[in-house]
Amino acid sequence: MSCESPMLELEGVQFGYTKAFINLRGINLSADKGKFIALMGPNGCGKTTLMRCVNCLLKIQEGSIDIEGEDVLAMTRKQVAKVCTTVPAEMPVEFSLLLKDFVSLGRAPISSGIWWDSDEDQKAIEDIMRAFGLLKYQDRRLSQLSSGERARALVAKGVVQEPKVMMVDEPSAHLDIKYKVQVMELLKEQAKNGITVIMASHDLNLVTRYCDEAMMIKDGVIYSYGDPNEIINEQSIKDVFGIDVTVVNVGGINYVVPRPPSESDSIRDPDSYRGERTWSPGGRS
Amino acid sequence: MKHESGPDITNKLHYDTKKRFLTVLAVGSVALLVIFVFSLTQGHYVMTFMEALDSLCGVITSCFTGEEWDTGEMVIYHLRMPRSISVILVGMGLAAAGTAMQAMIRNPLVDPYITGVSSGASFGVILVTLSGLFAFSALTIPVAAAIGAIAAFALTITMSEMVGGRAMAYVLSGTIIAAGLSAASTLVITFNSADYQSIMYWLFGTFAYQTWDNVYVMLCVLIPCFFVVIIAAKRLNMMLLGDENAQYLGLNTRQFKRLMMTIIAIITAMSVAYCGVIGFIGLIVPHLTRMLVGGDHRVLFPASMLVGAIVLLVADIFCKSVGTAGELPIGAIVSVVGIPFFFALLIKEGKHYVM
Repeated sequence: MSCESPMLELEGVQFGYTKAFINLRGINLSADKGKFIALMGPNGCGKTTLMRCVNCLLKIQEGSIDIEGEDVLAMTRKQVAKVCTTVPAEMPVEFSLLLKDFVSLGRAPISSGIWWDSDEDQKAIEDIMRAFGLLKYQDRRLSQLSSGERARALVAKGVVQEPKVMMVDEPSAHLDIKYKVQVMELLKEQAKNGITVIMASHDLNLVTRYCDEAMMIKDGVIYSYGDPNEIINEQSIKDVFGIDVTVVNVGGINYVVPRPPSESDSIRDPDSYRGERTWSPGGRS
Repeated sequence: MKHESGPDITNKLHYDTKKRFLTVLAVGSVALLVIFVFSLTQGHYVMTFMEALDSLCGVITSCFTGEEWDTGEMVIYHLRMPRSISVILVGMGLAAAGTAMQAMIRNPLVDPYITGVSSGASFGVILVTLSGLFAFSALTIPVAAAIGAIAAFALTITMSEMVGGRAMAYVLSGTIIAAGLSAASTLVITFNSADYQSIMYWLFGTFAYQTWDNVYVMLCVLIPCFFVVIIAAKRLNMMLLGDENAQYLGLNTRQFKRLMMTIIAIITAMSVAYCGVIGFIGLIVPHLTRMLVGGDHRVLFPASMLVGAIVLLVADIFCKSVGTAGELPIGAIVSVVGIPFFFALLIKEGKHYVM
């Protein structure tokens, strides 16, 4: 295993939006091909920032990011897009794009055609939309889709881009339990097909159920990194999120059950929960 | 996935972008051609549609045969063709500029008028024509318009990005800059009240004084601009997803935005320089067309350019034929005729059309 470089490797990544405020410090990660890895932590802990760093949207100040042994920082935007993509949490529904047009946009960085989608593009789009159960809705406008369909469409757009690394930002945020499971199954399948999937998620129970590895981030540094069923425990949740939980084990998988607030006084005491910061990176509209 | 099964399952991708594109092109071009010939019939010297078509063919064939022109052909060539062609070019230009701008700023409220581009261009023109500070040549006015337009747009974009770049910021700073520039124009006009009448006439938008020279300049500038915009259709589709997502797809958004902004400003400047300020085409036509053909810019661009040309041509025919004493201002006609039509379509399609 060691002779082959991992798919995605971060070493000592450091980034701050301003000089005075370091948002990420000393992030190391080594992800093999086909791994499904979760990033966890409170809002504002740096999950999204880390994803933006990997995608070169933000320029890291220290450390290195390699995809398949190649330095991402030295790549052009288009080269980055060929190896790595990000699936955002939401899609813009204005401007009447059709579902198929939306998904086909994912082909842009790798398509051979400047204007039309080539036959190869159409084939890839068709295959993936079929696999995702989206062909039926292909002629609908994005605004006419349900949340579940949108979540699948977003992942489908990421997959048609044929990335080596796919970063997914809170894919299950607005979904009911059925669609949550559906999206997780889809992501897991992509990982099996050889894409390294990095997912930011607040849904700890889905992480323990589906992910191969997990990283807990607190205040921009790694709190723990490893098997999700080992690193998600009562102590780590208390340390990172600042609340008391009960972790139960069902069939070898840890499930996090929150305790009523009366037992965890820290929720009422804002100082003990430092995860949430008022500062925001801006630029989100 | 149980809910996917059923008799109505579609198992094929209907890739019809090319078909939609060709349909739009065919239908639009035929409609435009018919209205173009019709526009040639209107004016002081009355012609029938067939006469106009005949004269037009005569003008075209005489280029090869060198035949003498009769009166109809003279009127068509010297008076009516430059006017109608410039109407078509301006209609296409404003529609293309509006479509590109709405996609780039991801705001359905913007058009060249609202973002201050038109005001910048008209301020530039008013300054050079009235102040008397500049030497005059055929290119003074378009160049002044272009400089004014680019400067105003750059100012709008810089200001709105400084305050966070949210969609509303563009509208706000654009409106403020437009208001400021209009006020400055008003001041310049007030201090030169001798030319008041002619300037106001131009400001409201008119196609009354077009010559072939104007048309040649417009053609030389606008055709390459149209080409760039249409080639950029796919990248504009990416821009619809937002700056960040466009970057994930490998687009250098900063560079692309600059290119598009310059092109949009130049297109707007050309139409302002020769035909005055015509609002609404840039705002309404893209919406109208988006409701009809959807949001894919590969289809939307040709469609909205054709619709823009047709709408403006119809408005111009109206201006030419209805006004008894002089001509009606085309900008006003476009708004008056366009709005009810737009509302009718909005009511019908609006449910699916999220703004």
